[in-house]
Amino acid sequence: MTRLFKRHDKSDIFIHWFNAACWLLLLVTGVGLIGNPDIDPVGSWYPDTLRTLVGGGGNLLTIHVVIGFAWILGFLWYLTVNARGAAFFLREVFMVSPARDMAWMIKKMVLMTLGPKPLKMIGMAPELPEQGFYNMGQKAFAQASVVGGVVIAVTGVIMFLSDKVFTAETAWIVSWSVTLHYIAVGLVFAGLLVHVYMAAISPEERPGFRSMFTGHVPEDYARHHHGLWYREISSEPAAKGE
Amino acid sequence: MAKQQFAMVIDSSKCIDCKGCVISCKVANKVPEGFSRNWIKASVPAFSMGPRTRTHFQPGACMHCDTPTCVQACPTGATYKDAETGIVEIDNSLCIGCGNCIPACPYGARFRNTAIRKADKCDYCPERRAAGLLPACVDTCPTKARVFGDINNPDSEVSRMLSRNKGKVIKIVNAQTDTKPNMYYIGETAPTDWTTAAVVPASMTVMKEVSPLIKGIVGLSGLGVLAMLGRQFLAGSSDSHEPEHHDEEARHD
Repeated sequence: MTRLFKRHDKSDIFIHWFNAACWLLLLVTGVGLIGNPDIDPVGSWYPDTLRTLVGGGGNLLTIHVVIGFAWILGFLWYLTVNARGAAFFLREVFMVSPARDMAWMIKKMVLMTLGPKPLKMIGMAPELPEQGFYNMGQKAFAQASVVGGVVIAVTGVIMFLSDKVFTAETAWIVSWSVTLHYIAVGLVFAGLLVHVYMAAISPEERPGFRSMFTGHVPEDYARHHHGLWYREISSEPAAKGE
Repeated sequence: MAKQQFAMVIDSSKCIDCKGCVISCKVANKVPEGFSRNWIKASVPAFSMGPRTRTHFQPGACMHCDTPTCVQACPTGATYKDAETGIVEIDNSLCIGCGNCIPACPYGARFRNTAIRKADKCDYCPERRAAGLLPACVDTCPTKARVFGDINNPDSEVSRMLSRNKGKVIKIVNAQTDTKPNMYYIGETAPTDWTTAAVVPASMTVMKEVSPLIKGIVGLSGLGVLAMLGRQFLAGSSDSHEPEHHDEEARHD
């Protein structure tokens, strides 16, 4: 029987899918709140239709704000129940070893789109440098999500507070919040497309995808995809547990 | 073109600067202290001997422009030109009070209402119109300097005034920002040099400028995904997994 390695806590799994659901709903409602032909991501038919569906732009804004606060509360809950997990995540995600990780990133992008031939043609070995708990692609998207998420949450709260505490003199902060909210969502969404493909559609990461439900990955997946992490853990728990 | 275009036609020579319009508007629309949705401007008095000394008063408010720069500056569409009435409206429930529209008006017709902390300006008194009344300022004006109506309806008083005064209709337009205002002054009016060029805040300009860039990045990302999907289907399983796997295992052992 193949050995399993624990990758995610129940709270990790919950916050991942909770975040996914919130982001989907926030994206769907948020794009509908942009009502200006110069910045509409998909054209004015979308906000027009959505606003009609929910009985007006004001209702759509309320829905967006309620989901936004639920999202923030979800994260505060997660931080209280699994602060250690959050700290581990942040440490792993922001610790980059430049030479190893950049080489991984560039090779992986070529391998995934063009295959190993171009790498061989320029005399590069197609083998990927070993990765830790997260590979550089996961790190890059996680970094964007953390930084982007904080920017999105803070600017969102500022916009919510606009008609409660801000004045004509300080409204420029609200206006810049709109801009930053827009840019941050755009950039995180660009990364999200790749994340969804790599995690849910690409066959290679299937065991990783399953672990986002079960919390565990099989040994050969851990060894092949997260070699540095595998070597760290395969000695420890194996010696004690199995 | 809007089906209707509500507008104000003003004979400013009739204005006696009584400020009745300003006060009735403040009362009708509960405008907070220190702010006003409309105004009466005055020309610099031309002092001379005795009776020739004169000055000119000019009532005004939001001009419900055909190309409103305030609407262009609004990120949410909370301020918009109503397709039915031609009135530039503010949907308070959608306004987040970012203030972009305020410097974008060349006429200074907008302010951030201190009570609701959102943009505010003349909306031609919708509650009064629904009750069959004229906007408060028009109703109050003792000399009837302000006339209100639909200029797309040829039988309206405003249309008749415009056609009677053909060639003598003045619009107050900023030299840099012609927003095609719908406020018409009959005969002569003064002052006319008080407008300011529309200023769209830098935050909005930045958003408009980076918007194509962001769409480009999302597009590139989407293309990348398509390329990976294509490879997944064309090259079969993109797992060149197995042989590599064994190599690695061999190395490790």
